[in-house]
Amino acid sequence: MMKEDNFGTKEAVSLATLAIITKVFYTSPFVIVNSLGTAAWYGTLVSCIVSLLVFLLLYQLMKRFPGDDLQAVFMKVLGKVLGRIVTVLFSVYLLYYAGMNLREFLEIIKAYILPYTPPSYIMITFLSVVALFAFLGLEVLARFSYLGLWIVLITMGLLLTFGSTYYNANYIKPYLGYGIDKTIIYGVLRSAAYQEFILLAFIMGSLQGLKNFKRAGIGSILLSGGVISISLLLYLMMFQYTVGSENLSGLFQISRSIYLSRFFQRVEAIFLFIWVISSVVTVAIAFYISISIYCKALNIGDHRPLILPFSFLTFLVAFFPKNLTETVEFHMLFIRQYSSFVVYGIPVLVLVLSLILGRKRVESRNEKV
Amino acid sequence: MKRYKVFCLLLILLCWMLAGCSPDLVEIDEEVYALVLGADISANNKIKITLQYPSYKGSGGGGSGSKSSGGGGGGSREEIGVYEGNIITTVEASSILEGINLLNTAVSRQISLTHCKLLVFSEELAKQGVEDYLAPMMRYRDMRRIMHVIVCKGKAESFIKENINTIGESESKAIELMATQSLNNGLFPRMTFIDFYRNMLSPYEQPLTAYAGINDFSKLSSGDEETASPLKIPEGYLPSEVPRKGAARRELAGTAIFNGPKMIGVLDSFETRCMLIIKNQFKRGIVTIEDRKAPGKVIPLDVRLGRKPVIKGYFENGVPIIDVRVNIEADLGAIQSRVNYERLSLVEALNGQIKEFFEAGLRQTIDKTQRLNCDVFGFGEYIAGNFSTIQELEAYNWKKHYKDAKVNVTVEANVRRTGLMFGSKPLKSSQ
Repeated sequence: MMKEDNFGTKEAVSLATLAIITKVFYTSPFVIVNSLGTAAWYGTLVSCIVSLLVFLLLYQLMKRFPGDDLQAVFMKVLGKVLGRIVTVLFSVYLLYYAGMNLREFLEIIKAYILPYTPPSYIMITFLSVVALFAFLGLEVLARFSYLGLWIVLITMGLLLTFGSTYYNANYIKPYLGYGIDKTIIYGVLRSAAYQEFILLAFIMGSLQGLKNFKRAGIGSILLSGGVISISLLLYLMMFQYTVGSENLSGLFQISRSIYLSRFFQRVEAIFLFIWVISSVVTVAIAFYISISIYCKALNIGDHRPLILPFSFLTFLVAFFPKNLTETVEFHMLFIRQYSSFVVYGIPVLVLVLSLILGRKRVESRNEKV
Repeated sequence: MKRYKVFCLLLILLCWMLAGCSPDLVEIDEEVYALVLGADISANNKIKITLQYPSYKGSGGGGSGSKSSGGGGGGSREEIGVYEGNIITTVEASSILEGINLLNTAVSRQISLTHCKLLVFSEELAKQGVEDYLAPMMRYRDMRRIMHVIVCKGKAESFIKENINTIGESESKAIELMATQSLNNGLFPRMTFIDFYRNMLSPYEQPLTAYAGINDFSKLSSGDEETASPLKIPEGYLPSEVPRKGAARRELAGTAIFNGPKMIGVLDSFETRCMLIIKNQFKRGIVTIEDRKAPGKVIPLDVRLGRKPVIKGYFENGVPIIDVRVNIEADLGAIQSRVNYERLSLVEALNGQIKEFFEAGLRQTIDKTQRLNCDVFGFGEYIAGNFSTIQELEAYNWKKHYKDAKVNVTVEANVRRTGLMFGSKPLKSSQ
């Protein structure tokens, strides 16, 4: 079986947080502002709270099978055949997730920076780094995330601070946006935007225990909620809900608008660094876990021979959408809004089944269920 | 060893990739960077745009405005658009982007808008509506939303031709500094495209831009007239009317105010200051008031805001009420009469006079905007807090109801410092 190295809670928090907050660099801000208006900044907190509740349910599931990864739990609760099918389903979903995130990255980078560069050129370059991470293993990716998160948070903080010349707190009025009911419903639906914490359950073996898993899950969800909420708040305070629902990339637009003095302007190049770092980590973790759980489900000992085929598949998936509109209005909408029925639904269903069937890990040498 | 070889191969590959070997690669001297974009009404097509870009020959390289023959098949340099080291070209087309493409038929380098500093709308066009021009400026990647926006009297093309830099070598620096002069005098607003566009969509406030024009220097008296030098206070000017001579002909004074995409009126330079005070955008400026103890004499004051204006918006019996409280601080710039206003007994009277002066100015400006039903102050931001949801706010439509609002203005004034003197002794003469 595959051997995955260990890392600490901080690395796990970084990994999940970076994967969650990356979407704030893309089309998410305008989608949320378009739906929630001035309530967007706390609408995301509703999603955050729902995700936290789902995580606590997931924790309950994982607690019943201490030491097991989520795909092992699937096998034990659903049986080997169904468990494998569900695991492969998750693998396929993560591959799709990686491909679509890559496509969204491509769309934004083509819109703002490299309009005439062939998409395949950008994707192959990007996927090479992702494949390299998959080759080097989870520990390298996790440790890179820990470093990357600091860079991303500090740079984001600086950029948002530099944009302060435009902020106007009155732009978040009326405070209830399009209505509290709509905010709550949309917030619950949009909880899938925090789904990346699920990935932690697939790498339980590297987290060194349930306690670390719990800390990493709660920590990453809360930290991401804070970062996304603050980003949306400042985005609204700069563009209002009107223009805020027009910008393709909210934070990139903030960075393009920074003008502190004649000397200090046009700083969006800084933004590119954090954008690429977090995008690479997001795609890489989904890509790696997609291969990893596929190998585990089919008892493949080494994941490395699969890196190239999976890279090719990700490349293909990224070409599914015909255009930006299809990427945003169908694929990203599915991933960030409706995938919760699958991503959250399955683990919760497995928890219910394990409770009904009374299945849990028996602490014996035979690990009999 | 094999690993090192792979590593070296990767490095070589990276060098190739990072060097920008893609169709987006543009050598810096393959492009020419437009600094000013002007828009006029076109007779033959949808739009008429004028671009100003440097000739890269130094400020005098373009011939310093000389009309000597040269280039372009023998026409004068102005005929081919060469003005003081800048090239000014105009084109009619169906859209801005198409127009720029068309210009590339005559310009040897690709025209880029990435460093465009200023967008100029002609007044005539602004009055018809600028919505057709906004679309590409928000969407097209080359356009920077931090460029400044102005409306000029007359044609934008003529204004750009007069946009001549008289100080320093850098035209782009001159344009940026010119726009930020607002921070030093408050005689016109500093309006970036991002603010202009946002306000056009905003439910809270109406858009505005700086108002510009060309001064033919005719307002300046020749000095031969026999007059009693009448005192004119407060001084409110519109562009082309500032009594001056020398320096560039183009000038910015006052504000063009819009209702949605259409310009509907102007504020003169004094009213502009009052507006900026309420908007908390007035940094500093010299304001002159008449000395009540010595009519005909003046007291120039270095004025700034003491603190951010306190504005409250609420409803009373269905009528929107806006309370504005402004705190103004001033330093004495001069006392022509040599009356000792520094003394405790007189400084309060001076504070009272400054308070009345600004209250009247603010009142006059607010009344003018209410007559035009154009909330350029952003009072809607404070009214918005009275609505729970966006649907309610938009259904009420503050921009429609601004004229019905009751606006109460209170000013606190405080002369903080007295310059480098604390008292003036009378001048002595033999008479």
